[in-house]
Amino acid sequence: MEHQDQKFIEFKNIVKRFDSFTALDHVSLTIPKGKFVTLLGPSGCGKTTLMRQLAGFAEPEEGDIYIKGKRVNGLPPYKRNTPLVFQEYALFPHMTVYENISYGLKLQKIPKSVIDSKVAEMLEMFNLLNLEKRFPKQLSGGQQQRVAFARALIMGQEILLLDEPLSNLDAKLRVEVRTELRMIQQKFNITTIYVTHDQDEALSMSDMIAVMRNGRIEQIGSPWEIYFRPANPFVANFVGVVNFLKAKALKQENGILAVDYCGKRIGLHSNLEATQGANVLLVIRPECMRIAGPEEDCNNEVFLEGTIENYSFLGRVIRYWIRVDEETLILDDSNPDLSGSRNGKVRLILDQKKIHVLDCEDATC
Amino acid sequence: MNTGISIHESLKEIKRLKNEPLLLIVIVAIILFVCYFAVWPVIKVVTVPSLSDYGQLFTRSRWISALKNSLFMTLVSTISCTTIAFLFAYTIARVDVPCKRLFRFITLLPIVSPPFIVALSYILLFGIQGIITKGVFGLRVDIYGRFGLWIVQTVTFFPYAYSVIYGVINSISTNLEYAAYNVGASRWQVFRDVFFPLCRPGIAGGALIAAINVLTDFGNPMMIGGDLALLPTEAYMQISGWYDMKTAAVLATALLVPALGIFVINRFWVGQRSYVTVTGKEISLHPFELPKAVKWGLFSGCMAFSLFVLLVYGTLLYGAFTKTWGYDWSLTLDNMKYVFFKGEQILNSIKFAFLSSILAALLAMVLAYIVQKKQVGVNKFLDFIAILPGAIPGLFLGIGFVMAFNTKPVELTGTSAIMVLALLFWNIPTCYSASTAGLQQIGNSVEDAALNLGANSFRGFKDIILPLLKAPFLSGFVLSFLRSVTCLSVVIFIYSPHTIVGTVSIMGLVETGQWGSAAAFTVVLIAVAFGVLKVARYLLGKQGIKLEL
Repeated sequence: MEHQDQKFIEFKNIVKRFDSFTALDHVSLTIPKGKFVTLLGPSGCGKTTLMRQLAGFAEPEEGDIYIKGKRVNGLPPYKRNTPLVFQEYALFPHMTVYENISYGLKLQKIPKSVIDSKVAEMLEMFNLLNLEKRFPKQLSGGQQQRVAFARALIMGQEILLLDEPLSNLDAKLRVEVRTELRMIQQKFNITTIYVTHDQDEALSMSDMIAVMRNGRIEQIGSPWEIYFRPANPFVANFVGVVNFLKAKALKQENGILAVDYCGKRIGLHSNLEATQGANVLLVIRPECMRIAGPEEDCNNEVFLEGTIENYSFLGRVIRYWIRVDEETLILDDSNPDLSGSRNGKVRLILDQKKIHVLDCEDATC
Repeated sequence: MNTGISIHESLKEIKRLKNEPLLLIVIVAIILFVCYFAVWPVIKVVTVPSLSDYGQLFTRSRWISALKNSLFMTLVSTISCTTIAFLFAYTIARVDVPCKRLFRFITLLPIVSPPFIVALSYILLFGIQGIITKGVFGLRVDIYGRFGLWIVQTVTFFPYAYSVIYGVINSISTNLEYAAYNVGASRWQVFRDVFFPLCRPGIAGGALIAAINVLTDFGNPMMIGGDLALLPTEAYMQISGWYDMKTAAVLATALLVPALGIFVINRFWVGQRSYVTVTGKEISLHPFELPKAVKWGLFSGCMAFSLFVLLVYGTLLYGAFTKTWGYDWSLTLDNMKYVFFKGEQILNSIKFAFLSSILAALLAMVLAYIVQKKQVGVNKFLDFIAILPGAIPGLFLGIGFVMAFNTKPVELTGTSAIMVLALLFWNIPTCYSASTAGLQQIGNSVEDAALNLGANSFRGFKDIILPLLKAPFLSGFVLSFLRSVTCLSVVIFIYSPHTIVGTVSIMGLVETGQWGSAAAFTVVLIAVAFGVLKVARYLLGKQGIKLEL
């Protein structure tokens, strides 16, 4: 039982081709029960295709799909019970809200009294009371979206598939729904697969993120791992603003990798086994650096010297573009001064613990 | 390379059909049915005459002039139709003037009327016994021929061009014009540089639709063409006067070739050059106010033309209740009594139109569904055979049915079946476009959503697709019914004493100068057509759907 919960949903070596284009190239992914897993990637990376294979709208050319240990290849979509919330909602335009939500249960020939109480529960949960007699076109975008959620969730609380369900909402509503959705998912312990190209959504909701590109999974990991320990520059770039610094490896000793950056010796927390003189890439997020105060003593810190080129005031942070040698680094000052921005020559102090190192001899670099 | 892959894909899809035997049977049945009743008659007509028969077309002076006249009339009538259609479309879509409801009505009226009604009315107005020529001025003028036909065809066919042009104008966002004003363009520059270029695909499409209708028009030339030799009327004479099928076939083929040409240009050239962009939620601003002189100039143009059309129809109504047109202007119900006496013909009209339209709408819906929602490897071919009958002039189809089905194995001459079948295939493209338009509005994901919730393919089709198809089905049916009830060109060749319909007897009455009865017959047919239209609009209106013609 324990074992089955760990492998609630399993994709094994999935290959999907459209004519000569390979949409999915040997993709494997295992999803434990009750987890919120996000497939994240740019458009055309195969994330929606992968989800549609699970729902049964398309069959893979190679590979196997398991739900609760049962192989589902070839099983028609209507026998899979994998409720999906569509990007454009796909509400039935000729049915009322009530009819839309109850349709799936009606097909299972469940007694009307049971359906009524379940629908009432959904209407309540999604704040749709008194709207059950309306048709979809009489609802606002946000209401339509909640109907789409209700229609999927009423089918049971085991699996939920979400195909960019928030992309048609305005920015503020999107953030609100994000939180509600995560709460409902955790409350009912629903195994959820979420497809999106928005890294904020992915980071804020997921237990686990699979970053995809060109039909392959580039990295699977927790939001923290994906953000601070990206497997390659693509992942680093896709999940947020990042600085790359080219350096040379010096020595690996007890989990501390010494590197040489522009003649400076820097010790970093990394298990990377790099030979001496190998090219490495330092990955630094904008908030992992700070500007030293004018009088501050930097001799115990790792610091670089640069000149402020430009800045942008975002309210909670000021973003600086700082010229350091040949590179322009982006730095977020999370504690802006009331007196305004800084300018001129500054010293940048790096947070050594949060600097990530990638092996640059690798082809992905 | 690409075609290699797509052929390969198609073969794969065809092989997959083995798993869905029902779908396979339906597809094969449809292909056989359409080929037998739409393709076979065409082949028959085209292949009956020998090459030397076709040679006559370029040697006999009467055929040469028929060809020239047909093309000339098509050219001039198309120009006038398109001009007036643009005037109406622009005024209705973009100018703030009163009486728009009247103008819209004027653009609808000729579509629901029998095709020769304007000609009939024109004779009543300006003919030898005409109310204006004889009654008011005491003149005796010959109105038969080019000029009369030009006027009549303009009034009859401008609505077809109008609906295309209006559709395009309506889809051009006014924001584009404001964007041009914003960068400093004057009203005239905006019209010339932005608005008009965006209209061009609509104007081209509208002109081609008008052209194909004018070219293949049979009713108006029959009544008002006089001695003017035209391809459709000459073909008819060959059959009705001389029983010369071969020559009729030659003339009909001479008509098919340009008709097919126009059809292909419209479908594959103009169709791909449309700028129509559906941006969805964008909010369009109100059109920019025109200078007063232009605004009222446009209004007067539309109004003058509308009054003329109203005069045409008013005359007809008056004629239907007048004792002897030209001599005794007193009112009477005798003409209506005559129609009542000949009620069987009206009933025939309704019966055949109803049956053929129901069947056409059903067949077209199945075809459209397969083409749009199933990957069966022959989608393009099915699409092609569904629109093909639209390229065949009604007259050609009529002659084709006579020639193809007058012997065994399928001998249909003189039966009701031949009437229904001919009208059915004549209407398939109309219904097919309505169904296709309807299906395209149903997103693929709606059907997927049903499967996802546990409905199998059959339930999904029954619960989701079928209810959503009600509207396109009904609009296809209504359009097809209106076309059938007012159709003359197809049925004139295949009716028998038992299956004679309203339009055919109206033509007979006009030929023998019984204007009053002809007018009464026409009024009743229009009333039936409008009645059906009203009922359909009401039924669709209850579901919140607007029926577009």
